[in-house]
Amino acid sequence: MGLMQELQRINIKMYLEDPEALSAEEAFRVFNSWIPTTPDEVLIDVADYSHVPEGPVTLLVGHEANYSLDNDHAEPGLLYSRKRPAEGDLSARLSSALQAVIKACQRLESEPSLDGKVKFRGGDILLVANDRLNATNDEEGENALRAELEPVLAKLFAGASFAIERDTTSQLRLNLRVRCDTNANAATLLSNLAA
Amino acid sequence: MSTSTTWKERLAGKIPADMAEEIDAFETQIHLRKQGKMEEKLFAETRLRRGAYGQRYDNGQRFDGTQTQQLLFPEHETKGPDTFWHAPGMMRIKIPFGGLTAAQMEVLADLAEEYSEEILHITTRQDFQIHFIHIEDTPDLMRRLSAVGITTREACGNSVRNVTACPLSGVCRTETFDVTPYAQAIMSFLLGHPDCQDFGRKFKIAFSGCEHEACGLANMHDMGGVGMVKTVDGVEKRGFKLYVGGGLGAVPHQAQLFNEFVPVEELLPISQAIARVFARLGEKKNRNRARIKFLIAKLGIEEFRRLVHEERAILPEDPQWTAFLDDLTVTDEEQLKPGQPLNGAETSEGFAEWYRTNVYQQRQAGYVVATVALPLGDITSHQLRALADISRRFVKETTRTTVEQNMVLRWVSETDLPQLYDELLALGLAETGAGTIVDITACPGTDTCKLGIASSRGLATELRKQLGEQSAKLDEAIEGLRIKISGCFNSCGQHHAADIGFYGNSRKINGITVPHFQVVLGGQWKENAGSFGLATGAVPSKNIPEVVSRLAKRFVEEREKDELFKDFIGRLGKREIKAMLEDLTQVPSYEENSWYYRDWGDTRGFTMDDLGKGECAGEVVSIGIMEIAAAEREVFEASVALDENELQAAWQGALNAMLRAARTLVKEQFYDVPEEADVVVAEFRTRFYDTELFSPKFANYLFSAHQDPASEFEQTQVHRFIEEAQLFIEGAYTCYYKIAAPLEGAKA
Ligand code: SF4
Repeated sequence: MGLMQELQRINIKMYLEDPEALSAEEAFRVFNSWIPTTPDEVLIDVADYSHVPEGPVTLLVGHEANYSLDNDHAEPGLLYSRKRPAEGDLSARLSSALQAVIKACQRLESEPSLDGKVKFRGGDILLVANDRLNATNDEEGENALRAELEPVLAKLFAGASFAIERDTTSQLRLNLRVRCDTNANAATLLSNLAA
Repeated sequence: MSTSTTWKERLAGKIPADMAEEIDAFETQIHLRKQGKMEEKLFAETRLRRGAYGQRYDNGQRFDGTQTQQLLFPEHETKGPDTFWHAPGMMRIKIPFGGLTAAQMEVLADLAEEYSEEILHITTRQDFQIHFIHIEDTPDLMRRLSAVGITTREACGNSVRNVTACPLSGVCRTETFDVTPYAQAIMSFLLGHPDCQDFGRKFKIAFSGCEHEACGLANMHDMGGVGMVKTVDGVEKRGFKLYVGGGLGAVPHQAQLFNEFVPVEELLPISQAIARVFARLGEKKNRNRARIKFLIAKLGIEEFRRLVHEERAILPEDPQWTAFLDDLTVTDEEQLKPGQPLNGAETSEGFAEWYRTNVYQQRQAGYVVATVALPLGDITSHQLRALADISRRFVKETTRTTVEQNMVLRWVSETDLPQLYDELLALGLAETGAGTIVDITACPGTDTCKLGIASSRGLATELRKQLGEQSAKLDEAIEGLRIKISGCFNSCGQHHAADIGFYGNSRKINGITVPHFQVVLGGQWKENAGSFGLATGAVPSKNIPEVVSRLAKRFVEEREKDELFKDFIGRLGKREIKAMLEDLTQVPSYEENSWYYRDWGDTRGFTMDDLGKGECAGEVVSIGIMEIAAAEREVFEASVALDENELQAAWQGALNAMLRAARTLVKEQFYDVPEEADVVVAEFRTRFYDTELFSPKFANYLFSAHQDPASEFEQTQVHRFIEEAQLFIEGAYTCYYKIAAPLEGAKA
């Protein structure tokens, strides 16, 4: 339990409603435009990995965190990967990581050049504890993480029920797939979190 | 759940003591530098020697498509000159002879996930590279690697780099013997060796099992060994034909033969003696002339050989020299299953083509080597982990990386191939065309390299796509050609050794910079990189696929029976090739077609900074640019003369071209500069070299030739000089853009 509190590297992915909605080239162009127009974090570069199947198709490299159009398991979505330590306890860090990814989804949804075709599923979230030292992919790890995450999710989904599943493959990082039957959009989710 | 709070604790006792100590020391050095208690240059060399490299934009500046922006890194400490502390960097991980166990692959996959972006890159020297790593994460990354027997020590910096070897060693049908244990022995012997700590530059070693295939590339290394056997007093003895002083870089050097036969007992002591001579006499101040090839060129091979033997004679005896010979089986591999032929079982669609291009019959009956072809040398962490699993189930973890940026599974029982293919297919790892024209090698280029000029990876992706679409229809003559691409003249993509090579450069059209690639033809991949190609002309990036298509078509149509591509290029002649590609060198104006002004795989304008000036400059092409272009033509004429074996004319032509370009630059500041070479060189030195407006490396090519003109002419030396002249011209373009841009703007 103690070690889970050390967890800083938090990955959160939100999935595209239409898997075809965002091409690698579009993501490359939009991510590039974010670098000089995102004053509150240091974004550095964009890398194209569209030649690799089921990988980070287009990666926006940042100092504190990376963003990518991720196609792991052929399920495209926006992946946020926190790399540098963030402030607050684990619950605060989970909350701020969720906030960051939802904000980025919202930004993509409202990007004028994408004509409103990009939409994310508000009730489908993957959380990966990207730290094999402090978070092991076993029952104990799951329980420790759920204890921190569930109150945050309860807030995020405004009390709606949700289900959590873990892929128990031992070599994988501790991962929780959260599903909630909600059609809340990004703005609602953000205001829920802030409430 | 774990109870350790750090990787250091968790891995205590699992890392060799000396490595653990070194990594701890490096961690301390990181803290010291962070507190400003360690000098930045010293820290830079320290981290390079541990494999932690800088990346593009680590100087905090990036062109965003409109203007160059300052990236707002949180603090301003540096981890080297002009290298921001917080800029993520690249970690190079040495894999001696490319050999990997399943556990090592799994750890590599873990690291790519936790510290990077889930992508691993295989280099042309069988290393792995992981990008976008924070310097603070590097000690733990090193600890985790060290716990599975991998080191990043001396992966970069002025040290002995990864020792490479043919990926087929031990199973190859044409090898003299398996060079793997020798590669392993020299790697361990020289790693951290006191005689290898004071080099002026890096030192690369490669081993090959035979002379005629390409796999080991012994001819393009600082030291290359080709396995040989010799009968002495009726006893067969093993040894190496040893080459020294080869290398690609800006100007390629063919290695010179050091000794026809160095017995295996002498391999380590001779290498140590070579290292000592290099450390003692090699250039230290001028990085550009510090590789061992320059020392050998300066001393002459005979004198170099004499010095090495002299050094060898006084070396204190070291038991390590021969200890490894007691057990040459340490690197031997075991088979998991009995070797059995394909049994006619049903196969999936695509299997036959994959089998044709990606499967090599081992000399051991029933076994094959299966190549996992990786576009651009990239593999995801999930794929690598799955491949580790495959390497346990199909073979006994007998996996290697290759210099063509692929991976191979050795000792696959042929009968298992259909199932292996299906599993690779499911993982997206069953790309066909290994070792063919679609298997294009590219350096990182502008994607991550600080020195990249044009997008080598972007171009490789495009060529792969276009050639892949035609692959079923490709003529046999074309299929076996190799394309290799570097993002700049530095040749990390090995363009000199390709049938068709390209290196990135740029040209300005109406004041706007357009990405270009220099076309390099006439190289040879076979015979351990048997010959190096020469530049034929710069073509805009977007026309390069058409260059490939025209060359291929012409080769298919006009090839004489069994003629090699390099011989065909020689027969066609540079003049004819230039004429054939001439129209492709033209670039429409930005207004007509802005597509040319973006690089492959990049949506940003190549240098939109220049757009404003270009619009002001209108259609004006300055006389200066025309003059430099004329000098470039003279270099081309020199290469034609070289082909015609008019060596003196070729040498003189190349020198004249440099003088012409130098005078053009001088004229920008001193319009009436006379034509006398002495004056031009002196003025050029004061105005451009002393002021560092011109690349000192390229300027020295002119100074040396002018000061010490050749009196005897030899093919390889003139070849090299023409390469130098071409680079001088590249430098002249860059310098001219720097000094003349404001003037061009003013003209409009
Ligand atoms: S060839 Fe140039 S661009 Fe490519 S990796 Fe080497 S230095 Fe960088």
